[in-house]
Amino acid sequence: MSKTILTVDDSASLRQMVRMTLSGAGFAVVEAEDGVDGLAKANARAVDMVVTDLNMPRMNGLGLITELRKLPAYRGVPILFLTTESDAGIKAQAKAAGATGWITKPFQPEQLLAVVRKVLG
Amino acid sequence: MGAPDPVETFRQESQELLEQLEQALLDLEHRQGDMELIDSAFRALHTIKGSGAMFGFDAVAAFTHHVENAFDEVRKGKLAASSELVALALSAKDQLRILLDRPDQADAATQSAILDGFRAIVQGGGGASAAVAAAAAADDAARGWRIGIRLPRDAMAMGTNPLLLLDELRALGPARVSALAGDVPPLEELEPTDCHIGWQVELDAPCPRAAVEDVFMFVIDDMTLTLEPLGAAPVEAPPAAAMAVPPPSAGAAPAAKPAPAADSVRVPANKLDELMDRVGELVIAQSRLRQVAGGSHDMQLRAVAEEIERLALELRDTTMGIRTVPIGQLFGRFRRLVHDLCRDLGKEVELVMQGEETELDKTVIERLNDPLVHLIRNALDHGLERPEERGDKPRRGRLLLSARHAGAQVRVSIREDGRGLDRARIRARAEERGLVAPDQPMTDQEVFQLIFEPGFSTAAAVTNLSGRGVGMDVVKRTIEGLRGSIEVSSSPGAGTEVTLCLPLTLAIIDGLLVRVGEGRYVIPLTAVEECVELDADAEAGGARCNFLNLRGSLIPFLRLNEVFATPRDPEKLKKAVIVSAGDQRVGLVVDQVIGDHQTVIKSLSRLHAEVEMFSGATILGDGSVALILDIAPLVAFGQAHEERLMAAA
Amino acid sequence: MSTPDIAPTLRVVTIDLQGERFALETRHVREILDPGPSTLVPNAPAFLDRLINVRGRIVPLADLRLKLGLAPSDTTIDTRVIVLEVPLEDEPVTVAVQADKVHEVRDIALVGMTQTPRFGLRCRPEYVRCIGQLGDDFVVVLDPGPIFAQPRAADALPIPAA
Repeated sequence: MSKTILTVDDSASLRQMVRMTLSGAGFAVVEAEDGVDGLAKANARAVDMVVTDLNMPRMNGLGLITELRKLPAYRGVPILFLTTESDAGIKAQAKAAGATGWITKPFQPEQLLAVVRKVLG
Repeated sequence: MGAPDPVETFRQESQELLEQLEQALLDLEHRQGDMELIDSAFRALHTIKGSGAMFGFDAVAAFTHHVENAFDEVRKGKLAASSELVALALSAKDQLRILLDRPDQADAATQSAILDGFRAIVQGGGGASAAVAAAAAADDAARGWRIGIRLPRDAMAMGTNPLLLLDELRALGPARVSALAGDVPPLEELEPTDCHIGWQVELDAPCPRAAVEDVFMFVIDDMTLTLEPLGAAPVEAPPAAAMAVPPPSAGAAPAAKPAPAADSVRVPANKLDELMDRVGELVIAQSRLRQVAGGSHDMQLRAVAEEIERLALELRDTTMGIRTVPIGQLFGRFRRLVHDLCRDLGKEVELVMQGEETELDKTVIERLNDPLVHLIRNALDHGLERPEERGDKPRRGRLLLSARHAGAQVRVSIREDGRGLDRARIRARAEERGLVAPDQPMTDQEVFQLIFEPGFSTAAAVTNLSGRGVGMDVVKRTIEGLRGSIEVSSSPGAGTEVTLCLPLTLAIIDGLLVRVGEGRYVIPLTAVEECVELDADAEAGGARCNFLNLRGSLIPFLRLNEVFATPRDPEKLKKAVIVSAGDQRVGLVVDQVIGDHQTVIKSLSRLHAEVEMFSGATILGDGSVALILDIAPLVAFGQAHEERLMAAA
Repeated sequence: MSTPDIAPTLRVVTIDLQGERFALETRHVREILDPGPSTLVPNAPAFLDRLINVRGRIVPLADLRLKLGLAPSDTTIDTRVIVLEVPLEDEPVTVAVQADKVHEVRDIALVGMTQTPRFGLRCRPEYVRCIGQLGDDFVVVLDPGPIFAQPRAADALPIPAA
């Protein structure tokens, strides 16, 4: 049974790239365009991992991570966030909110897959 | 069909983002303290930078970085928004557009000027990029490592899988793993997702320290990791770090803005076209059903056919609604145009928009862009005067863009309170060019319509923006290509209004189905005034008596079988369909009027683009094709044709 | 080891028109239909004066015989309509042509021009892409692009009513 990954980002091109990379590697992908949408989709079905951008309208990534960690179903589910460069402050905040790890933008498809495998197996 | 390309999606997306940025900036100019606008601008820049870097647009990403920085400073309250910042950001937006669409035309000087501007604004505090804490990895590759691992208690709840970490270590080389279970609480107190177990790993791999640390990169700040080169004496197993689950930081409060829930779905335009096609075919099939049911005595069949007709029409209306888009989308783009034109021309103009919620078919809106741009340019360049020339009128000129539904039409108008058209000068110019005879009487409307003749321009000076006289005739042709028309009204000193009248939908029209010879044709019902029977004598005469007497007025008629060069139907009694084309009325003589017919317009092939009399074709209930008549050129052609016949007589 | 000369081949559909054999590259052929009703387009050029309905799409029906200098022939049980997609100025255009008979899809070898027998080609040379060899016979491979290319007509602006 293939694993399902929820990707949350307000950039359609980025979602498309992530979807193509992950589904090409055999993962099922669910997309959401902001935190509110992401939370709704996360509630609607169980996913095995979440990849979220931080900067989004309506509810940003930090908010989404916080809300997800309140859900019993999401205990133990890896949540990755996308961050640009190496902003240590943001990383600390996101980790404090409950993120498992991060992916630095810009990234190549192989790098995305490497991190996904690192965290999901 | 090929897989969608993220780069293409990014291009489309960046167009929308640049729009969003521009609107936010234009609004920001008047509301400089509005944090939502700042945020909207920041997010647009951030996404362009992030996604741009992803898809190879490095120049775009690098350039956007600086602009984004400046807005980040404003967001954080370290910098105040100002008109200067907005102006600079607008230039940056233009530069971005060039970098995205035509990078080879990007001007390096302009670009560095903009960047200098931003640097100056941000004043040395700028950049704020966190110093990369380069982990001074002592590259001491020992024979191996003894690794002590203690994860925070909530590590697994936060998604870290210790087994995967151990597997990664094993991937570096042969490893002996032993668990340190001394801290596992009794069963009653045990929370299964808490991590109480530690590990000690002896890794026989001559890898650098950094390779081991990399495995733990996500958790390294929260855990206890001890590393000693193998060969040294074993150290005490690391003590269990009493790690309390850190409370979620206050900064993680969701920024739930009360933004309007735009519950929408992005759909590729070709899917909508396909949907329209299916609906169109359904309408056709349904009309066939209506025919069949109409001829049947089966009440059940007729009842169902009626029901299907109702559903088909509702479906048609709903899908029409999907393709319609509020014109405000188009008007929004013009704010920037007006802003820049005012600046370039030294004019002061207030732009007012009305009826932005008026909806039009998406394809119509797109084709309206160029004509409206031209009309706005004209209005600002020629119509509206400079502030000092305004006389008694308010110093600030007024440009009104409005749209409204009127019956089956949409009327889009551009009105300014400038000089007004100079009727005498237009007339003189037309006479000069031989378009009009000197003593020919003309109404105001007719004179004003002359400005749409090709090459016609009364502008004394051809400015950069308009006055070349190549625009207005193209505007007219574009509007006519949309089956619309243009009205002009003007009064000296008070201004001019140009109104574009467009049909509400392009795709489905109500028509009158007629037969000429073997072929069937559709006449748009909007053009049809009435049908009359043709007096057999007048018709048969073949005489040059080509006029009908309709309740006292003489109306010329055209024999369509002659215009179409089809054999003459010997049937004596013919019908004439009286149609209006502009101000003219003409009777089209056909062999048979079949009836009302709602048709889905299918466009003709490019190969038939030069055939003037038909605006499209439709598929009838029996699968055959009927051509849709384009009334205006038909009338013109017919007239020339009749003139030739008369000359030959 | 000498490599044998491999003549370039082309995948084509071969058709009969007025007793003569022609071929069309399969890359241009969208589908092949039975003939059905067609509609006259008044005042269109004779070569392109009919339309057909292909599953809801309006497609011009061209009379290739006119362009190739052949006499018209009656419709028989073998007549077929071939729907082509022809590249024209960056965007492909769909057009249909009628054939007296359609044969199978073949890979034919191309033949250098020096070897072509004097055919007495009645059509203009630019309509011919190349000559192919089919068994003992030669077949003219047509080039749809030039056949359907439109002459640049001057923009006819309506003369304003005087």
